[in-house]
Amino acid sequence: MTRLVEVPTQFDDRSFDQFAAAYAQATDGERLLFDAHAAEWASPYGLVGLLAAGEAAARRGERPLLTAPANPDVVSYWARAGFFREAGDLFEVHGKVPRTKPAVESEVLLPVTPVRAAEDVHAVVSTIQQRASAILSSELGLDPKATMGFAMALSESCQNIVEHAGTGGWVAVQAYNWRRKLARRVVVIAVADAGVGFRHSLEPTQAKRFGDRWGDAAALEAALIQGVSRFRDPGRGQGLAGIRRYLARWEGKVAIRSGTARIAIVPRWDDDVPLKDGLPPFPGSQVLLIIPEQQSGGGPSKQ
Amino acid sequence: MIPHIMVQTVLQQAVSGFYTDLVTRPTGRAVRENIERELPAGTIAVMDFTGVGCLDYSCADEIVAKLVRDKVRVLLLRGLTDAHREAIEPVLAGAGLAVLCERPDGVLEGLGATGPAPALLDELVQRRLAARYPGGSIRFTAA
Repeated sequence: MTRLVEVPTQFDDRSFDQFAAAYAQATDGERLLFDAHAAEWASPYGLVGLLAAGEAAARRGERPLLTAPANPDVVSYWARAGFFREAGDLFEVHGKVPRTKPAVESEVLLPVTPVRAAEDVHAVVSTIQQRASAILSSELGLDPKATMGFAMALSESCQNIVEHAGTGGWVAVQAYNWRRKLARRVVVIAVADAGVGFRHSLEPTQAKRFGDRWGDAAALEAALIQGVSRFRDPGRGQGLAGIRRYLARWEGKVAIRSGTARIAIVPRWDDDVPLKDGLPPFPGSQVLLIIPEQQSGGGPSKQ
Repeated sequence: MIPHIMVQTVLQQAVSGFYTDLVTRPTGRAVRENIERELPAGTIAVMDFTGVGCLDYSCADEIVAKLVRDKVRVLLLRGLTDAHREAIEPVLAGAGLAVLCERPDGVLEGLGATGPAPALLDELVQRRLAARYPGGSIRFTAA
């Protein structure tokens, strides 16, 4: 039997729970058909999240199917963003997919890129420093020195996969105009994997401390707010703390979804909630970092 | 003789592939282990970051914090960019550790936790590896 999992027409972190709810209804052994034919737009978060779903579905049963977006502009954009280069290994793809190489254009700072080992993180950091410097300073108004901090934040986000997921994942970085929230440009880093997730990773060292409260939300809180790590080494847990510092400086946002929970450090321009629990379960972890264009004389203000 | 560690050179020796960025735990671990092999315990060492691109928090902890915690008596860093400092400072401060940092003008200052830094500067002066200059600044003299 094949189960349909609809990909939202506007596929980003806001619509991800709708996608996760459809995915969560699948049972072991069912073949999944991810239907993106009506997709009109997908953020980097949506694209890497869809790949994570494909990997998890393949583990549970038969190789999943994917219907590519019918709109030629949309499917072309997904191709230029590097999505189909990775999707081809995971899904049986149906629909017209252009044979376009991942783009070298201003919006796609880093096409969808697999992260499986430390060497991949080196490659990602090297690429982003070559490509993002001009965008971050000229278009986002960040201090040129902030480029290095951006690379650090990206490195730590990717290492979360290498160190904790128990499997590979994907990262993508894009810059675009964010009309919905800010009416200005943002740079978005999205990292997703279909690995063990924060709760499983931290359970051996943290579950006892939290007692009955232990779960996905508590695990995310422990990692992002308290800076704990599954490793007992005293220097561990620096990565997420460093990301928080960097984003606080540039009024950026970080949100992490894992299992049935999602935690966010919410800047003043956003109206997201800090912690959500009881969400539809989804494998692994999905990390979102947003850095907005800076206004001269101060950071971004709420519109 | 004070050991001088060129971090970029060690990075090239420690990992395969030409990297200028000090990122990821495995890279940091490889670099630190390479440094430790040549470094007697309890020593005073100079570590030069010239030529190093991005330094992330994981490598700052794996290399600098662990050397200070477990291996060296005083660590003097030079060739640091502002971005390097931003990675190293919170990692050391969070662990209650400090190193000395040589500014481009040659003046030494503490980096990391504020508590241990004055004692590190005093030790270099007492060992005649650094000298106090008019105005109170301290400069390394054993280079």
